[in-house]
Amino acid sequence: MEAVIQILAYGIMVGSLYALIGMGFSLIFSVMKYVNIAQGTFIMFGGYACFFLFGYLKIDPYLSIPPVMVIMFFMGAALYKLLFSRLSDLPVGLRLNSSMLITFGLIWVLDNTATLLWTSDVRSVTTSYTGKVITLAGVRLGFTGIAGMFLALIFVMALHLLLTKTYFGKAVRAATDDAEAAAISGINVHRTFLISCGIGIALAGLAGVVIATTYSISPSGGLPWLLIAMVVVVLAGEGNVSWVFPAGLLLGLIEAASVFFVGASYREAVSLLLFITVLVFKPEGLFAKGSIVG
Amino acid sequence: MVDWKKWILGGLLSIGFIILPLVFHLHSSIMNLLILMFVYITLAQSFNVIGGMALQFHMGIAAFFGTSAFVTHVLWQQGIPIYLAFLAGTLASMVLSVVIGLPTLRLKGMFFAIGTIALAETMRIVVSNVWPLTIYMPVSVSANFTFPPRYYFALMIAVFACVVIAAIKQSKLGLALVSLGDDQDAAQVSGINLFKYKIIALVISSMLAGLAGGVYCYFRVNINPGYLFVPLWSFEPIVATAIGGMGTLVGPIIGSFILVILSDIFALVLGEAHLIIFGILFILVVLYYPYGIIGSFYKIQILFSRIATGRASAKK
Repeated sequence: MEAVIQILAYGIMVGSLYALIGMGFSLIFSVMKYVNIAQGTFIMFGGYACFFLFGYLKIDPYLSIPPVMVIMFFMGAALYKLLFSRLSDLPVGLRLNSSMLITFGLIWVLDNTATLLWTSDVRSVTTSYTGKVITLAGVRLGFTGIAGMFLALIFVMALHLLLTKTYFGKAVRAATDDAEAAAISGINVHRTFLISCGIGIALAGLAGVVIATTYSISPSGGLPWLLIAMVVVVLAGEGNVSWVFPAGLLLGLIEAASVFFVGASYREAVSLLLFITVLVFKPEGLFAKGSIVG
Repeated sequence: MVDWKKWILGGLLSIGFIILPLVFHLHSSIMNLLILMFVYITLAQSFNVIGGMALQFHMGIAAFFGTSAFVTHVLWQQGIPIYLAFLAGTLASMVLSVVIGLPTLRLKGMFFAIGTIALAETMRIVVSNVWPLTIYMPVSVSANFTFPPRYYFALMIAVFACVVIAAIKQSKLGLALVSLGDDQDAAQVSGINLFKYKIIALVISSMLAGLAGGVYCYFRVNINPGYLFVPLWSFEPIVATAIGGMGTLVGPIIGSFILVILSDIFALVLGEAHLIIFGILFILVVLYYPYGIIGSFYKIQILFSRIATGRASAKK
């Protein structure tokens, strides 16, 4: 019984991080229909920003979240302004592929910039409270894991409110449905795209902070996180931003169970197999396709 | 219509590569680079069939490359002659492609890309968990290792890959693939069996990837099984094809040359920063020459011929 509760707790903790990662990727993908293959690399960059602020300026990783997110927001805006916005002239079939190719190139650039700046060592942010464990009803939970979970919850909720309750959210949903029609109805589609790309990358930065405190970061360590983002998005269904959170939780729970039953070294393989199965039998996404957002 | 100029040019190029090691005494590092370039040409043509012509973004070539290389290696270790092991490896990756293609090719756009990358990563994790140790060539072979047979073998396979692409481009299959790359719905309405052609393209693509895997296995003295499935083997062929020109015959050759030889020269000249500059150059090529170097060259040619014919008709 205790093992079941432990698996559940661990799954929810990991799952909310996965949901956070999926959120950033899904926002860019569902709004602009661009695939950002460098999402995992941006996550690593967020982690490095946190590592830098912690190591050189002695700022607590949780206090460094606002500056990291602001930096990453501007990186995302630059990504849209410099690269993605230029793709809109291409024919539709070529656009998706070109967005993937461009972000391939970006992986090279960012990876090697990170290697030059911080060497290729595996790093993590270790504070005085990193190893602390809280025991709740017989279940042992790491402090940083719980903090990461709450951060993910707060930001997922905030994004949900932003998308459902504000004018900007309405514009995003309109642009998601049909960018041309939205532009005709007077929505500044370019600005909407710019801001949602910025938010997507800022969320990657936040995920980077959480990963730097709970896992580890390295210049080329972005790919597994990218795969997780993709898996979460496919489980949730294309354009289904509001279902990203349950999808992330589900993936986390399945992974936690697979660590217990199959072994930790096959953790990723089990989730990827689950993902291929879902793609084959229900390619439109595991969760019923309700409204696009909200 | 057969374009003789192209065939003659290709023949001359391959004869040049055949003569090259006979005339000059090539250093083993140059030999290494050339063999790697041939492997890349084969892989890039493998991506070209499905990703360049049919525009199905295949991100899991590593799965087929690795399967073939690994199967070839295991059989070779058992004492089976290399050419038989090589054929068996290629066959294994073709079988895998049918098994994988039947479900995943129904997916559209990004989902095919994600499905294939997930497949390759799953295989990498499983293989590197089950066989974590480095494997070596049979001792009898590595004792008298020489470059020329490997060089000619790799060259032969690369030429074969290019001939396959040339043949596809002139067949009905090539026409069907290009049309479904342009507009799937329109292709289906015109009576093209999308699924059938996609499966054929995937099988041919994984056959070429399998051949490349066999060559790589024959050429490397030691291999880490997990390394055969790393995303590098999926991504770099895509990059090579995109630089040269998607869906063209010559594009992947030029792209592989740039990727292997030029990036090596870049590394010598620029040191650590060379991949940053290479990445920026690649992004610029994709942004400003979305049809690749060769593709844009053809576009300009067409533009010029249009201007010329426009003037001719204006004179009348």
